[in-house]
Amino acid sequence: MNRRVLTAALGAVVVLLAGCSAGRQPSPAASTFPAARPLGVQDPAVIPSSSAGPAQTCNPRASLRPPSTLPAAGQMPAGSTMQRIQQNGLLRVGVDQNTFLFGYRNPASGQIEGFDIDVAKEVAKAIFGSPDKVQLIAITSAQRIPYIQDNKVDIVARTMTITCDRLQQVNFSSVYYQAGQRVLTSRSSPAKSMDDLGGKKVCAVAGSTSIVNIATYKSKPIPVSVPDWTDCVVLLQQGQVDAISTDDAILAGMADQDPNLQLVGPKFTEEPYGMAISKNSPDFVRFVNGVLERMRGDGTLRDINARWLKGNAPPVPSAEYQD
Amino acid sequence: MALLTAPASSVRPDARVRPGGRLAARARSTPGRLTGFMLLLVVLGLLSGIAAVVGIMQRSALVDEVRHGSGPLTIQAQELYRSLSDADATAASAFLSGGVEPTALRQRYQDDVAAASAALAAVTAGAGTDRTLVSQLSAQLPVYTGLVDTARTYNRLGIPLGAAYLREASGLMRTQLLPAAQGLYRSERGRLAGDVSGGAAFPWLAVPLLLVTLAGLVLAARYLTRRTQRLLNVGLLVAMGAALVMLMWTTVSWIAVQGDLDRARTSGSEQVDRLASARIAALTARADEALTLVARGSGGDFDKDFNQQLTTLVGDRGLLGDAAGQPGDPAVRSALSAAAAQAGVWRDAHKNLRAQDTGGDYPAAVKLAISSGPGSTADAFNHLDKDLANGIDAASADFDRQARAAADGFTLAAPGLVVLTLLVLAGVVAGLQQRIAEYR
Repeated sequence: MNRRVLTAALGAVVVLLAGCSAGRQPSPAASTFPAARPLGVQDPAVIPSSSAGPAQTCNPRASLRPPSTLPAAGQMPAGSTMQRIQQNGLLRVGVDQNTFLFGYRNPASGQIEGFDIDVAKEVAKAIFGSPDKVQLIAITSAQRIPYIQDNKVDIVARTMTITCDRLQQVNFSSVYYQAGQRVLTSRSSPAKSMDDLGGKKVCAVAGSTSIVNIATYKSKPIPVSVPDWTDCVVLLQQGQVDAISTDDAILAGMADQDPNLQLVGPKFTEEPYGMAISKNSPDFVRFVNGVLERMRGDGTLRDINARWLKGNAPPVPSAEYQD
Repeated sequence: MALLTAPASSVRPDARVRPGGRLAARARSTPGRLTGFMLLLVVLGLLSGIAAVVGIMQRSALVDEVRHGSGPLTIQAQELYRSLSDADATAASAFLSGGVEPTALRQRYQDDVAAASAALAAVTAGAGTDRTLVSQLSAQLPVYTGLVDTARTYNRLGIPLGAAYLREASGLMRTQLLPAAQGLYRSERGRLAGDVSGGAAFPWLAVPLLLVTLAGLVLAARYLTRRTQRLLNVGLLVAMGAALVMLMWTTVSWIAVQGDLDRARTSGSEQVDRLASARIAALTARADEALTLVARGSGGDFDKDFNQQLTTLVGDRGLLGDAAGQPGDPAVRSALSAAAAQAGVWRDAHKNLRAQDTGGDYPAAVKLAISSGPGSTADAFNHLDKDLANGIDAASADFDRQARAAADGFTLAAPGLVVLTLLVLAGVVAGLQQRIAEYR
């Protein structure tokens, strides 16, 4: 019996070998085909030589001083921007719908939610008495300034860094969140900061200041750019990049989507976030700053911070005014 | 003529000295000449018979290949390409519906993947298929489905990362899988075109040989008439008749088959090609529309591509207009005009959808993209897709009809030509042998 099994096995081996030798040319190995990548990946990223941010020529944190007392909700002063908004019935807010934790559309509810949205709703509450009197208009980063200038939105709350360049075009509220560029990497990665990432691939969005900061960092990482932040996480999960580097606010949202990722290293840039408002409406800027001041005082801003960022929540920044 | 009757020795005195001299002398005598004629005519008759029979068998085999080989394989390759595009469009639409995707869309996606695998297996079995493209498709299709399922899982969990996985899946589909499938389709289409033109080729060998044979037979008959003072040689007459019928049969069947294959090409396979390209453009546009919404505000490139695909479809010199300008089946024409109208409806519905999205009402835009009912882009697209599918079916049926007619043109041709060749040979031998015998 054993012998028969052995013979059968031998026979099978012979047939297999014969099949192999008589077979066609072997197909090329699968590894010769390129790996799947998000559309529009640049590896290494092409960094425009003139894209390094200009030196700050102003104090971007200094906004317009709020009035000593805010008008009561629903009773905006005649002729003010706030009265016009009140008459429109809704506060039109330009928001992000794609940045987890700050402004994103919850696929389950279909609603846009996040830190920025909650702050904007507080402004609506101060005008109308109800936080739901908002019309959230999803816009891209590039649309933020034109939408304000063309009066398509009353205010933009969309992870927007206050810079002197932008202050030439729009007004900003006081700083409501102090972000800074950090590094996100796998828990298993030996890299603990940007200094450990020399020669490694680090991902950021094309055209962002983050990608320029990666390209110019002293340890010389290799910048890899993608069209969208979430594409970076996909590349990191698939081992196609070693780390992601951008504002900690955005990185916190990424870390929240995958427990195997962690924020490491110190902030190496300062990114003060403010809400953008038209240059023609300084009264509205002062009003919003008053609302933010009240939120700092009664703990609302701290609560929003903790609600979305949990363990990664940084301290609430204090306001600065030019006067 | 004097030479023919002159004694052999006076023409070439040295002929006697050479060993072959007697044979040469005999060859110049009348019976020798007749024997030579006979041999020549037998060889010519045999050659033209073989050329005609082999030629018709070759062309008949090519037409069979068109009907049962390269034709169906081209359809399989096209089905592979279509089902992959459809999977891309369906995965994106299903994603838009949020956590729990509609059963119908899930089913359609799974059917697409199954159809793509089946078509890939069928194409692989075909001879002369590009192995590299096949192994690329075999290697990357599972990677694609893996990415789509990762995207689904994240989407169910409500995590935005799902959208990025979907974009990556779509990127793999568009930059790797679809070009490979298109490459396979192109090479099958090339083989089909080669078979069609081979089947319709003019019988360049058989027709001239038959003409030479006929001329030889006429010359031989004239020579005999002069030599023997007899007007008719029945054998040669039969041979001439048979050769003439062979010539006509070969030519007429060529004209008929060529006409059928030409119609099969212009109103069949070329129309199928245009309609299939149109359908794939529509599918790509549908995927673009969904991916624009999935990208939530950063999908400008997808929207640009949408407009490009619709221009390919219904713009000036677009695929549908081009197809409508071709001769073809009435069923194809009505499918084409219905498709063009639906493309217009879709374009308007899409404009409305984009206006909702850019106006900030994302949920309304998504509703337009996935709900059914008037004004929804899903409806317009589904109708367009169905119209194009109907058009493809009608044009394919037309192609089959014409190819079958072409195959009918070869009915009995091979055995008929064999019989006629034998008649030619028998006529020549019988007719001339009789005269040669009279000289003995």
